[in-house]
Amino acid sequence: MSFLIRQISRTADGREIIRPQEIDRTMISIGRLAENDIHLQDLAVAPRHAQIERLDQRRIIVKSVSGLDFDVDGRPVQEVEIDSAKGAELRFGGHRLTIGHEGANVTIAVERVEALSDASEYKDEARVFSLRGLLPGKRLSAWGFAALILLCFLAFPIWSWATYSEVKTRPVGFHADQSWSSGKLSLAHKSLENNCQACHVKPFEAVRDTSCTSCHTQVHDHADPKRLAEAKATPGLGGRVQLMFASAFNVPQGRCVECHTEHEGAGKMQPTAQQFCSDCHADLKTRLTDTRLLDAGDFGTAHPEFRPAVIVRPGGAHPVTQRISFDKKPIEDNGLKFPHELHLSKAGGVARMAQTLSGDKGYGNALACKDCHRPDSSGTRFQPVDMEQDCSGCHSLAFDEIGGTVRTLRHGDPAQVMADIRAFYRGTGPARPANLGGMARRRPGLYAEGQVYSAYFGAVGARPGQAESAIRAVFSPGGACFDCHRIDPPGAGGTWRVQPVSQNARYFRKGWFDHDAHKTEDCESCHAAPTSKAATDLLIPDLASCRTCHVGEAGASLQTVAKPVPSGCALCHSYHMDDGAPWSTRQRVADNKGGTNAAKPTGAR
Amino acid sequence: MMATRAATPGRVKGEVLHDGFLRHKHFKWLKISGALSLIVIVGYFLIDVTPRHNGGSWYGYVLGTIGALQILWLTLLGLRKRAMTRGRWSLKAWTSAHVYLGLSLIVIATLHTGFQFGWNVHTLAYTLMMLVILSGIFGIVAYANIPTALSNNREEMTQPQMIDSLRSIDRQLHDAAQPLDQHLAALVQSSLEQDPFGCGLIERLSGRYPDCATRAAQAAIRRETAYKPNLGEDPLEKVDALLVRKEAILARVRRHLRLKALLEVWLYVHVPMTFALIAALSAHIISVFFYW
Repeated sequence: MSFLIRQISRTADGREIIRPQEIDRTMISIGRLAENDIHLQDLAVAPRHAQIERLDQRRIIVKSVSGLDFDVDGRPVQEVEIDSAKGAELRFGGHRLTIGHEGANVTIAVERVEALSDASEYKDEARVFSLRGLLPGKRLSAWGFAALILLCFLAFPIWSWATYSEVKTRPVGFHADQSWSSGKLSLAHKSLENNCQACHVKPFEAVRDTSCTSCHTQVHDHADPKRLAEAKATPGLGGRVQLMFASAFNVPQGRCVECHTEHEGAGKMQPTAQQFCSDCHADLKTRLTDTRLLDAGDFGTAHPEFRPAVIVRPGGAHPVTQRISFDKKPIEDNGLKFPHELHLSKAGGVARMAQTLSGDKGYGNALACKDCHRPDSSGTRFQPVDMEQDCSGCHSLAFDEIGGTVRTLRHGDPAQVMADIRAFYRGTGPARPANLGGMARRRPGLYAEGQVYSAYFGAVGARPGQAESAIRAVFSPGGACFDCHRIDPPGAGGTWRVQPVSQNARYFRKGWFDHDAHKTEDCESCHAAPTSKAATDLLIPDLASCRTCHVGEAGASLQTVAKPVPSGCALCHSYHMDDGAPWSTRQRVADNKGGTNAAKPTGAR
Repeated sequence: MMATRAATPGRVKGEVLHDGFLRHKHFKWLKISGALSLIVIVGYFLIDVTPRHNGGSWYGYVLGTIGALQILWLTLLGLRKRAMTRGRWSLKAWTSAHVYLGLSLIVIATLHTGFQFGWNVHTLAYTLMMLVILSGIFGIVAYANIPTALSNNREEMTQPQMIDSLRSIDRQLHDAAQPLDQHLAALVQSSLEQDPFGCGLIERLSGRYPDCATRAAQAAIRRETAYKPNLGEDPLEKVDALLVRKEAILARVRRHLRLKALLEVWLYVHVPMTFALIAALSAHIISVFFYW
């Protein structure tokens, strides 16, 4: 009836060394201090930790005396009764006590099962000194990230494309192929932002013009595509290489998107650079020998003289015009006699008349341009000068006054004028004598009365004859019509004719000039009206005049310009020309109004 | 004095035989990639691309192709480094080219973007590339500076010796603490039980260990002994001295761990981000031509 204690230790190569000790007592102690029967050199064990008491042949009771727990078969307890024949495993700190029964003895095998410190355990040097285990492995994260990115940014967008490739408009919301967009669309195309398939119709096929023309049905080509191709400059080495690549990858030339680049950010589409025009137009004649277009490369240095459309034969609303270069000193025949100099003179009759009428008409000390020329609603050009409104203040056509109402000859209708004059002479007799009675019966013998009657009616009868001379006077030098108009005298059996008059609303048909954009200038700075003595003077500024401010896109000019205005081709010209303002001007105007460049052309003016 | 003057400037006398990958062949690859970058920059400003520079212009395509090929070649270092060879295409020459051509990508790829960035796969690829390059720059700086610091800290001590010295001090602590009361023994035990290598990444990289059990135990035992006379027979005094020594050893080990971690950590960004970059680059190239 004793305890058989076996202290087990191991050599470096793992061999067991057992030191047995027999204690013939019914109670033994366990603890860290050397005085204990079972001495455990273990800091996790209390100096006097527990005691084991033998109850009978087989049963023992293990009880903590330190208040600290110990483990029995993995369970912490303070006290436990054990049948040694069945055995048990106790754990004190890093030591294992295995209880067993041998003959009449209770055996307790004591073995240190934990290293005395963490550092004493086996350490894989390559591992503990590296970051392995602290971070996800390089290989794992490399493939993980790669797969994640391919999934999110390749597979998912392709799925989006495949799902919606046939629809016109996608549902609002997130679509994965948005992650492929290299930038926002311009404001004009904002509504297409979510609909990649609207332009990118087939995968791996560059955007075709058909995508554009499905909405832009009105836009026409710049010129016949064949001539356009001929007009293009032969590409240099780089250009040829580009063409080679383009044809290899099935990218057609001259696509809309070559100029109208998209995904450049949510602003307005940028106007095309001047070089795009000058590539062809700078030396067009060398390639298109039969073209009537003159070469132009830069407004400041290489632009042909303007060729305004000048009226060569006036014809009312449909005059015959001809584009004549300023080099040929064109004169204009608008059918009028109108010396601007006389009318704008600061002294003389016109100025005095203006002062007289200043109360009624709002004239100043002399006439000014604005007194006759009024801008149209857009401010771009001017309304035609209107005789009744602008001239008749001085050039009155009044011929009669009845009860305070002034009767005037009808302007623009010579037949009516002549009829009115004739009617005047017919309808107004000489002053009627007071003694000419009405319907009272005349008594016989009243001779004097008969004389009055005869004289009066004689005069009445002769009066319509005076109408013809009055008509002649109106249409002859000094007459109201002749002052301003060229008159065709009546031939045999004919009548008086006024030659037709035409006012030129637009001189530059191929370019765009906007008066509104030049409001800061005086009229006289461009139009030499104050010195013009004849109506045939063409008062339109020529190239040199414009060049006093406007220089090339990059600032090039032939002469020094004090306040240069860089002017690319697109300032006045439009690639897809229509009757309206050039695209860039429309855009600028829209800008000022805070709109987009989606505005429709304003039509003919 | 003369000898110092004769030596290459910026180089310590006596270090003539070894040429690092940075100085390889008198900075041959620095010159090559510098020239490449310069040509690309000059081209960017001289070549007039309408309406503006971007990846889709012909110059953009050229730069993009150069950049993509460069990225693939740079990635091959991962394979190449597993075979050390000498000569013209030695691993050192290859590494030198890797570093300098990798740096030139900053110029080439940035100009390829035309400075157009957005929340898209294209900018993602660019960002990943910049991450890879920045981590690479960190790696170069680490390789240039840390080995010296590492060697100064080790003082001829090998890593197994560091572990052994920790084990030795632990054994002595264990023995010395045997007579202690349980609450004091538990303090020592906590120091013994703490894994000197079992800390997180932040502790490794910062070298700060706020939960150090050894320091806590030492401080607690100091409080215990503070008002006792040192008679030289109190086991606590010995434990205290041993804990101080353990702290010193731990400090050296931890500095070593920190430097080693700095030397290694950039690769945990560099390598995975390279693979992420190649994936994003593939998505970038395919998407560009998918939606041409």
